[in-house]
Amino acid sequence: MHIMEGFLPLPWAVFWWVVALPCLAFGIYQLKRILSADREALPLLGVTGGFIFILSSLKLPSVTGSCSHPTGTGLSAVCFGPFVTSVICAIVLLFQSLFLAHGGLSTLGANIISMGVIGPVAGWAVYRVLRDTRVHVYLTIFSACAIADLVTYVVTSLELALAYPAEVGGVASSFVLFLGIFAITQVPLAIVEGIVLALVFKYIVTLKPEILVRLRVFPEEKIRAAAGDAQ
Amino acid sequence: MKKGCLLEILAVIAIIAFCAIFLYSSSLAGNAEFAGSDTVGSERIAELSGIPLEEFHPIIPQWEPPSGEVESGLFALQAAVGGIIVGWVFGYWKGQAKVKNHEG
Repeated sequence: MHIMEGFLPLPWAVFWWVVALPCLAFGIYQLKRILSADREALPLLGVTGGFIFILSSLKLPSVTGSCSHPTGTGLSAVCFGPFVTSVICAIVLLFQSLFLAHGGLSTLGANIISMGVIGPVAGWAVYRVLRDTRVHVYLTIFSACAIADLVTYVVTSLELALAYPAEVGGVASSFVLFLGIFAITQVPLAIVEGIVLALVFKYIVTLKPEILVRLRVFPEEKIRAAAGDAQ
Repeated sequence: MKKGCLLEILAVIAIIAFCAIFLYSSSLAGNAEFAGSDTVGSERIAELSGIPLEEFHPIIPQWEPPSGEVESGLFALQAAVGGIIVGWVFGYWKGQAKVKNHEG
């Protein structure tokens, strides 16, 4: 989902940076508040952040004959909200743009918006809708993670389409074109990512259910039911 | 069957299905290169804008890994950092749970 360095015209690069910076500032503020309220949240942040590190480094071949990587952002968005996730994503993306030439410093703003802001916001929205319904905890996590992953790539396509409208059909037709590259490659990856992260969540529920209850990730009865299933 | 392992089984099935779909589609495509979708995207940008791919220069100068080996090494490093943190925390929680069980 990285937009490579130099491939975004300067005005757009600046625009996405300007959108991204307040999200990051808000994320850092939220992060400080969560950690000063409860130090035991730090290990959970480590797990959810660690999976963003792992999953976003795995480049997997997919059906369209090209490679792409999962984002892993859903779990963190569910536990801490989308903007804390933006901060972790910014760290990963900065590492990748400095040392791996994946994405670049000028396109970092746009990449933070797609992977760190709108993707997680979409995943978080799915989670918020499903949280208080009868839908099972793991199904909620699966949906949130898969959607966060997929939406990231849809947003990348949109960012590119806005910068490079087609001569015939404008933004809409180049959006469809970029969707064909990014989003279709991503569908199988998003499904696998959703299942894997639901599995990770199961291990968190088994080992440390208290922290999920304390951070009000899910109501206590739901966590207890999920932990009961796992026994 | 224990209901407890349902997710693990699902995960294994999904990963196997993912590999199967990949093998099937790559045998059909034949000459697929499996380049990164980032690269494919950049090629499409060049087509859309009518500017040749070589004409795109970094706006901010960028260090590039000198070879694929170095690049994959750095990617492995990234995954390893994540893996260490995840493993450390799960171990920490496991230890906490054990202490709590002993006391309680």
